[in-house]
Amino acid sequence: MAARRRPLALAAAEPQDRARHDEGSCRPSVQRRPSPLLPALVAAVLSPAAAWAHADGHPGGGGFVAGFLHPISGLDHVVAMVAVGLWGAVLGPPALWVLPVAFPMVMAFGGLLGLLGVPIPGVEIGIALSGLVMGLMVLFEIRPPLGLAAVIVAAFALFHGHAHGSELPAGSNALLYSLAFVMATGLLHLMGILLGETRRWPGGRRFVQAAGAAVAMVGLWFLEQALR
Amino acid sequence: MNGVFAHLTPTGLGPWGDGMARLVLQPLDLLLLVTLVLLAVQSARPWMDRLGLVLPLSWLLGGLVGLGVGKEWPLALPCTALVTVVAMVVSLGLVLRIGDRLLLGSTAGLGFFFGLAAGSSLAGHGGALAALLGEAVAIAVLTALLLMALAPPHPRWLTLGLRVMGSWIAASGLLMLGWQSRHPF
Repeated sequence: MAARRRPLALAAAEPQDRARHDEGSCRPSVQRRPSPLLPALVAAVLSPAAAWAHADGHPGGGGFVAGFLHPISGLDHVVAMVAVGLWGAVLGPPALWVLPVAFPMVMAFGGLLGLLGVPIPGVEIGIALSGLVMGLMVLFEIRPPLGLAAVIVAAFALFHGHAHGSELPAGSNALLYSLAFVMATGLLHLMGILLGETRRWPGGRRFVQAAGAAVAMVGLWFLEQALR
Repeated sequence: MNGVFAHLTPTGLGPWGDGMARLVLQPLDLLLLVTLVLLAVQSARPWMDRLGLVLPLSWLLGGLVGLGVGKEWPLALPCTALVTVVAMVVSLGLVLRIGDRLLLGSTAGLGFFFGLAAGSSLAGHGGALAALLGEAVAIAVLTALLLMALAPPHPRWLTLGLRVMGSWIAASGLLMLGWQSRHPF
């Protein structure tokens, strides 16, 4: 924990303290600020999305906007994906980035299975359980080994992906749809991580636990619906 | 026309401009470019500087061969699979275990294959050669700009961001593979 807080403390320190810290290191710092070109390049790379957003000739089909809205249109999916980020923040690095990297990849694999028509039993129950289980993990700040945490998240991602894959509509802009779909999922993880990072502040830990409890309650409600 | 290997979209700038615009309007070539840049900047090796030369040249060579073939080949599925695999390598940070020669050979091979797909899809269009050259120039410029912006050393957050971006591309590729299997073009 101390190591994690060190950069913040350093940032808050006086300039001479920072200079002393740099002098104390064995070698000169090689890190540099990212180029100011980066935001412009990111905008350029994402520009096809803007160009194609209105070029979708398939109502309800696969454009960037449709793909982006798909993952955030269901509360059960939203809470689970936010919970992945929250749990990652609770576990700290490297889980902080391993879980959000593992989730979209396995989710996409589940989507592939769904698109290929490979059945997975109990998809709705699995999705509901994901919210419940990960919400409880956040609530009680359970810290299993990284491998186990990744397996848990990946298993639930399979259910989410399968459900999404089965629902993907036919459309001409399939790749943009898929990209937007994954980006929306990743941004939900990021939202969870940012919420989880409030644990650094006074009262933040309780806030994150409360968020975990809320996720678990939503998961429980969906589980009850799925078991009816 | 399909969304994976779009043919030329008229921009009003002539075949050259249409070819440059194709890179932006044709997501799979763009994804290959971004993925290879991510792979290169992760490796932090001298050959990273050569990517800006190897990729456009191999792509152009493949494009010329594709134009010479004169008919469209159904290469969307293998191209998507290749991007997915490379993006997985990026997201898992496996690049350090790959030798320099293999990396360089893979880059050249991928550029050639994607160029072949693009060239064969452009065959039969008026001004196809100019369009091909325009897209090759666009690839060279965008690759150089991205390499410049993302050149190592990276802050920690950017290192993680590169991996996350790789995982997003890999995930999109997986979904795309399923999509193409369900809705073959």
